[in-house]
Amino acid sequence: MDITRRQVLWAGGALGTAALLTACSGDGDTSSKAGGGGKPRKGGTLRVGALGRASAITRDPHGTQANESDYLIIALVYDTLTAPGAKDNTAPRLAASWKSSADLKTWRFKIAEGAKFHDGSPVTADDVVWSLKRLRGTPSGASRLPGIKAENIKAEGKDTVVLVSDYANAELPLLTRLSTFVLKKDTKEKELGKAPGTGPFKLDWFRSGNARLVRNEHWHGGDVLLDAIEVKIFESPQAMSNALLAGQIDLASNVGPVAARTAEKRKDIQVVRRPDDMAMPIIMRAGDGPFADPKVREALRLAVDRKAMVKQVLSGYGTVGNDIMGTGDPAYASDIPQRGRDLAKAKSLLKEADFDTSKTYKLMTTEDVPGLAESATLFASQVREAGVKIQVVKQESATFYDKTWLKADLYTTYWGTNDSVLFFASKTMESKSGQNEAAWKNKEFDAAYREAIGAKDADARAKALTRLQQIQHDDSGYLLWGVAEGIDLAAAPVHGLPKLPGYGRVQLERAWLAR
Amino acid sequence: MAGPLSGTVSERVAGLRPRPAGPVLSGTLRLAGLLARRALLLAVLLVTVFVAVELLPGDAANATSERGESAADLARRRELLGLDRPVLTRFWEWMTGLPTGDFGTSARGEPIADILSKPLPNTLLLGGLALLVTLAVSLALGCWAALKPGGATDRAVSATATGILALPEFVVAVALVLVFALWTDLLPAVTLTDADGTPASWRMLILPVLALAIPQIGWNVRIVRAALADEAKAPHVESAVIDGLPRHRVFTHHLLPGALPTVAAGIATSTGMLLGGAVVVETIFNYPGIGSVLAGAVTDRDGPLVAGVVAVTGAVITGVLLLADLVRSWASGGRI
Repeated sequence: MDITRRQVLWAGGALGTAALLTACSGDGDTSSKAGGGGKPRKGGTLRVGALGRASAITRDPHGTQANESDYLIIALVYDTLTAPGAKDNTAPRLAASWKSSADLKTWRFKIAEGAKFHDGSPVTADDVVWSLKRLRGTPSGASRLPGIKAENIKAEGKDTVVLVSDYANAELPLLTRLSTFVLKKDTKEKELGKAPGTGPFKLDWFRSGNARLVRNEHWHGGDVLLDAIEVKIFESPQAMSNALLAGQIDLASNVGPVAARTAEKRKDIQVVRRPDDMAMPIIMRAGDGPFADPKVREALRLAVDRKAMVKQVLSGYGTVGNDIMGTGDPAYASDIPQRGRDLAKAKSLLKEADFDTSKTYKLMTTEDVPGLAESATLFASQVREAGVKIQVVKQESATFYDKTWLKADLYTTYWGTNDSVLFFASKTMESKSGQNEAAWKNKEFDAAYREAIGAKDADARAKALTRLQQIQHDDSGYLLWGVAEGIDLAAAPVHGLPKLPGYGRVQLERAWLAR
Repeated sequence: MAGPLSGTVSERVAGLRPRPAGPVLSGTLRLAGLLARRALLLAVLLVTVFVAVELLPGDAANATSERGESAADLARRRELLGLDRPVLTRFWEWMTGLPTGDFGTSARGEPIADILSKPLPNTLLLGGLALLVTLAVSLALGCWAALKPGGATDRAVSATATGILALPEFVVAVALVLVFALWTDLLPAVTLTDADGTPASWRMLILPVLALAIPQIGWNVRIVRAALADEAKAPHVESAVIDGLPRHRVFTHHLLPGALPTVAAGIATSTGMLLGGAVVVETIFNYPGIGSVLAGAVTDRDGPLVAGVVAVTGAVITGVLLLADLVRSWASGGRI
C-alpha cells in the first residue's frame, strides 16, 4: 500500500549486501516443489497469513501462545536453543552443539559462535540461563522444561549452559525446540514487545497481531534472503485462503485441506504438503475399564477402516497410521507390517474377550483441531460393523482437558510433535510418564525404552527402538488410524519453504521470492 | 448483547406518539433521567455478562493453559488471574476501574484497553459507514417507492426489500466475496491492516460495508415506506395537498418531517443489528474489529474482556438510541 522511503532504503541495503553474498546454494531439502525457481535470490517482502485471534494475542515469548501468528513472529525474532530438523529431528539453532553425561541427566549446550542480539551485544550463557529460568517460572514451565528445576539451570563460562534433569532424559534437546526463546538478561516485563532477539529477522512494527519483520544482516545462522516478512493475522482459514487466492498474501500458513482442495485447480498456487503434521489417535484406556483387555483393543484396531478415515476425514491429505506414534521419526519402524481391516477377526477377538456388545460406549472428542470430531464420528460408524456400539460426545476444549483427558475410557487426542518415537515413549507411554494417556503399563516396553535411551552404540539403539515400536503396535492403548499433513498454500514466486511438520513451518529464514 | 437495548426501541416504533414540547428545564431533566436509566441498564447488562461467562463450562485458567499443566500449575494460573475470588468481587473491582479508563487485563495478560484500542475504532468505522449507507439508500428507495403507492416501482422495491431483509449477513458476505473478489477481481477479498492498525486501503471497506448494510436496507426501506404511507393519510398532509402546494413541497415539508421519528427509530434499531452482524462479517472479511475479539474472548472464558467489548459497544448503542430519541423529540415537537 504505502511504499515508504524505508522500503526504498531497504531495497538499497539489499543491493549493497548482495555484493557480499557468496553463492549460497540453499540446502536441498527446503527447496519448494513448484518451478524449482533456479538460484535463490535476495530481496523482496513475503506476506504471510497465519491463524490467530485478536483476543488471544500475546507478545511474551514464554507466554501461552494460542495464536500461530504470534508464534511465527516470535520464532522469527527470537532463537530457541534447538530447532526441528530434517535429517535429525533436532537441529542446532542458538545452541551450536550439545552433549550429555553418561547417565543422560546432565546436558551441556554450547552457544553458537558470533551469536548477537539485534542491538549488537553478544549472547552470553547468562542471557540463556536467565531466559530458561524465566520460561521455567511460567505456569506452563514444568511441562516446557520437563524434569529441569530452575536451580538446575546454570552457566558454565561465557558460552555453555548446563541443564541437570531430575531423571535420565535422552530427548531433552528435542524438548528445547519449541519454547526456549532467548532474550537478554533482565529484560523488563514491560519491554517484552520490543526486546531484541537473536533471530533471523528484527521486529519493525507490531500492531494488533500483525507485524513487519526486517532481515537481520548479522544472523549467526547464515544469510537471510528476504528483505522483510509481513505477518498478517487471520481469524479463519477461509478468509486466509481467500486472501491468497486474491493475491493479497503470498503464503497461507497451515491453512488446511479444505483450502487445498479449492486451490488444487489453480496453476498459479503451490500446495505445500508437510507430512506427519498432526496425529489424531483414539485412546483406549488400558489400565482399567472395558478396553483393559488387549484383545478388545486389538479388535478395535482391526475394525477401523484406515484408508477411508484418511480419505474422508483428511480429504486424502494424510497417511495411514500403524498404531505407532512418532511417524516422522527417522527411526520410525516402517518395516512392521501395516495393520489392515479384518472385521471377522475383530468379532472373534471381541467374543474371546467376552466384550459386552449390548452396551453403548462413549467416545469423547473436541473440535480443537480440524477433522478431530469427524474422525470420532466416522470411527463410531466403522466399528459398528464389528458389533461395537459407540456414541460420540463432543466437549468444549476446556471441559475436555479438565474432565476427560487422561481419565476417560475412550477419547480422541491430538499431537503436533510427530517426528520422535521416543518423545511419545517418554511422555505418554512409559509406565511412570506424567501424561500416560491410556494408563498403559507394560514392563517390556519400559525395558525397551530404557535400553533405547541408554544405548551406547547406534546399532543397539536401533534394535531397542524397533522393539519398543513393535510392543506399542501390538499392545498399547493407541489406535493411530492416520496422520494429517500440514498444508500451506503459496503463490508461485515463493521458494525455499520449509517442508517440516508441526512448528517446523515457521522456519522461513531460507525462503526467497523469484520476482 | 444489543437485545435489551434495541428492544425498547422496536416497541416504540410500533406505539409512536407525538410528545408535547416542554420547557427547556424539563427537557434537560428528562434527558438526564434517560441517560441515567440507560447507564443503569448497561451496568445490569455487564453484571449479566460477567456471570454468564462464569456459568460457561471451564474457566479462563483452563482455557489459556497448555496441555500437560498439572493441577498445581492450574491453581497457580487461577490465582494469577484472580479466579479464586467470588465473581461479584471481581466484577466490582473491574467496574470501579471503568471510570478511570482501566478496563483490566485479559486472561493472557494484555491490557484490555490496548486490545480494544485499534479494533473498536475500526468497528465503529465499519458500522458507521454501513449505517450511513443504510440511511441514504433506505430513504431514497423508500421515498421512491412511496411516490406512487401501489405502482410498479413500489411493488418492485417493497418485494426486493422483503427478500433481502431475510438474508443473513454471512450469505450476503460470501456472495460478495465470490463475485467481486474471487471471480472478477474487482475488490480485495479481505481487509489487511497497516502499521497503524487501520485498513490498508479504503477499497477494503466496500465489501464489508455492503455485506452489513444490505440486510439492514431491506428492513429500513420497509419502515420508511410504511411511515410515509401512514403520514400520507394524516389530515395536515391531505390539507396541504388540497391547498394545492407543489408535490415536492408537500413531500419535503409535510410528509417527510412527519415520518422522521419512525425512520430515526428504525435506523437506531439497526445500530444494534449492525454491531451484532459485524461479528460475522468481520470474520469473513478478516476485518480487524471487535467482533473477532469478542468471539475469541468467549472461547477463552475471558470475563473482563467480554465485558469490555460489551461495555464499549453498549455505550455506542446507548448513544445512538439517545440521539434517535432526541431526533424524534425534536421532529415531533417542531411539528406541533
